[in-house]
Amino acid sequence: MKSIALTVNGEAVRGTVEPRTSLADFLREDLLLTGAHLGCEQGVCGACTVMIDGAPARSCIALAVACDGTEIRTIEGFDDDPRMAQLRAAFTKEHALQCGYCTPGMLISSHDIVSRLPDADEARVREELSGNLCRCTGYVGIVRAVRSCLGETVPEVEKAPAFKVERDMPAPAPAAPPAAMPSGAPELLQSFTVAHRTDAVWAVFQDIEAVATCMPGVSLTAKPTDGHVEGQVAIKLGPIAAAFAGTAQVTLDDTQRSGVISGQGRDSGSGSSVRGEVTFTVVPFGAETRVDVTVAYALTGALGQFARGGIVNDLASRLTADFSANLQARLEGRAVETTEIAGGSLFFNALWSVIRRLFGRG
Amino acid sequence: MKPVAFDYERPASLEDAIALLSGAGARVLAGGQSLGPMLNLRLAQPELLVDITYIPELKTAERQGDGLWLGACVTHAEIEDGAVPDVTNGALAFVAGGIAYRAVRNRGTVGGSLAHADPAADWVTCLSALGADAVIAGPSGERRVPVSEFLSGAFETALEVGEILRGVWIPTLSSAASWGYYKFCRKAGDFAEAIGAVLQDPERGIVRTVLGATNARPIVIDGAYGDESVRASIDSQGGDMDAYDRQVHFVTAKRAAMIAGVRVA
Ligand SMILES: Cc1cc2nc3c(=O)[nH]c(=O)nc-3n(C[C@H](O)[C@H](O)[C@H](O)COP(=O)(O)OP(=O)(O)OC[C@H]3O[C@@H](n4cnc5c(N)ncnc54)[C@H](O)[C@@H]3O)c2cc1C
Ligand code: FES
Ligand code: FES
Repeated sequence: MKSIALTVNGEAVRGTVEPRTSLADFLREDLLLTGAHLGCEQGVCGACTVMIDGAPARSCIALAVACDGTEIRTIEGFDDDPRMAQLRAAFTKEHALQCGYCTPGMLISSHDIVSRLPDADEARVREELSGNLCRCTGYVGIVRAVRSCLGETVPEVEKAPAFKVERDMPAPAPAAPPAAMPSGAPELLQSFTVAHRTDAVWAVFQDIEAVATCMPGVSLTAKPTDGHVEGQVAIKLGPIAAAFAGTAQVTLDDTQRSGVISGQGRDSGSGSSVRGEVTFTVVPFGAETRVDVTVAYALTGALGQFARGGIVNDLASRLTADFSANLQARLEGRAVETTEIAGGSLFFNALWSVIRRLFGRG
Repeated sequence: MKPVAFDYERPASLEDAIALLSGAGARVLAGGQSLGPMLNLRLAQPELLVDITYIPELKTAERQGDGLWLGACVTHAEIEDGAVPDVTNGALAFVAGGIAYRAVRNRGTVGGSLAHADPAADWVTCLSALGADAVIAGPSGERRVPVSEFLSGAFETALEVGEILRGVWIPTLSSAASWGYYKFCRKAGDFAEAIGAVLQDPERGIVRTVLGATNARPIVIDGAYGDESVRASIDSQGGDMDAYDRQVHFVTAKRAAMIAGVRVA
């Protein structure tokens, strides 16, 4: 626990917080200032916007402890503010709110726009408001309301009555269960060659434990039985750390020298789940052997929510290279490097690839 | 949604910060605008956050030699508002204004953006085009890496365990220099799908085209702009971008070149 001292709406406030407490939670739960709303808790929607030292900021991703010594102003602290009174009146006149969930954040951002950019035109107002999402109004009224307050002289207003809402926070939604593999889930195709004869390579693929140890970050928690595998895939990429624990079923076709691994895993830390199917074929390629891998994945939960497009295609080649190097080492009787994935595995590539497709560029 | 429990320290000097970072599970906290969402989603589960935003030297911005020193904790909004000396004929302020939203820019920092190493982020591409250096401080002293080589992959950087990005050094453009920056995204303030950045500085003999929001570090092409060389670089360095991605990156580069007034014929 850490002690903090800050100014909230003009009053000196002391508190004891866990470092992980967001400013939003501190304001809402400890100080019962519920004006700042929580929407996304990822900095995207703007519902939680408050002023920190006079500048708008997201209270959902600011830590209360990091705000020790600062001056906070929430929507409740604007009751007597003449400019805000003008904005409130304009919002009412222009029908700039319906359910009101976005409104505290909208008003604080609008206050900042009116103060900082008195000459803004409509396009600029819209751009400046782009960080505050409203699911009700369609924005036309909000933009009109803000514009009507631009360049206005601020009138004196009467003190508005104090207004306070106290209510329990709703319980957090349960984590989503693993999704079923949707038909037509995105597929990723990769190939690599190994400088060994096809039957030797195929022999390794028949040994499930051997294949698993070639995938960086994979560890089995039990001996495979009848193609049933239990294990874990650890991922570390920059600050992201996840460990997907799960099961897989491996089915091999000796005549085609191909196999299917279908599995599902869950990272309890981030509440993310993944379901996937890996199909591989081992084919002669001159004196060497080519391994074709097709991966189809569906991802749900936090990892899926957080990521957007443009992530990690170069990992694909890097990691396939790791896997094939490990496979090669195994075939030559050398030790396989069992480092934690920094940057992933075939599995992880596929995962990011799917994220990219789901959230990214087509 | 809540982060895992962690501890928090607010060192007053770079030395103290570096010492705190030597422990396992320690992470730098700057503006928290990228780390915050990851903490809330428990994608990041640190044991200790070392808040570096109260270290005075990381907040400085000043002319240094023939360039600008920008401390790691200078915010996007400070750059947007012209609170730092302009050595880039307005390029930094323009790019800063296109990052996220004002409420995010008020806290997000240059250093945090680079260290977070999202390939789609703006600073890594902009500063690569400007030829900036990343200045890194760690237990064994200080070193410099060109920003264009700072990312080693998506979310991975040249920073070793225990190191802090102290800031960046940006060379001063000559007065005749021109630049173009074209960010393609579907919504104002969003991360880019593709970025083109072009710098033309005849007095210093530089023409440089940079393609950002690739799958890893930006693609840097030195020398006169040419459609063919841009396409060839995308093909050879773009990883497994699909046809759409390639075309979007090509077009953003070309638009940036046109904005910079570079011959694109
Ligand atoms: C809704 C939203 C939209 C956004 N849109 C964009 C956009 O369009 N373009 C864009 O470029 N960015 C965008 N961002 C990201 C934003 O620019 C962040 O400010 C930036 O990525 C991180 O900076 P920060 O200071 O907040 O770092 P933090 O979140 O505090 O840290 C980020 C990471 O870097 C590490 N770190 C931070 N500083 C240092 C340092 N000096 N030395 C070593 N490690 C360090 C931390 O440990 C952490 O892993 C967006 C963010 C949000 C929330
Ligand atoms: S709840 Fe903070 S931005 Fe959405
Ligand atoms: S009024 Fe309902 S979200 Fe804006």
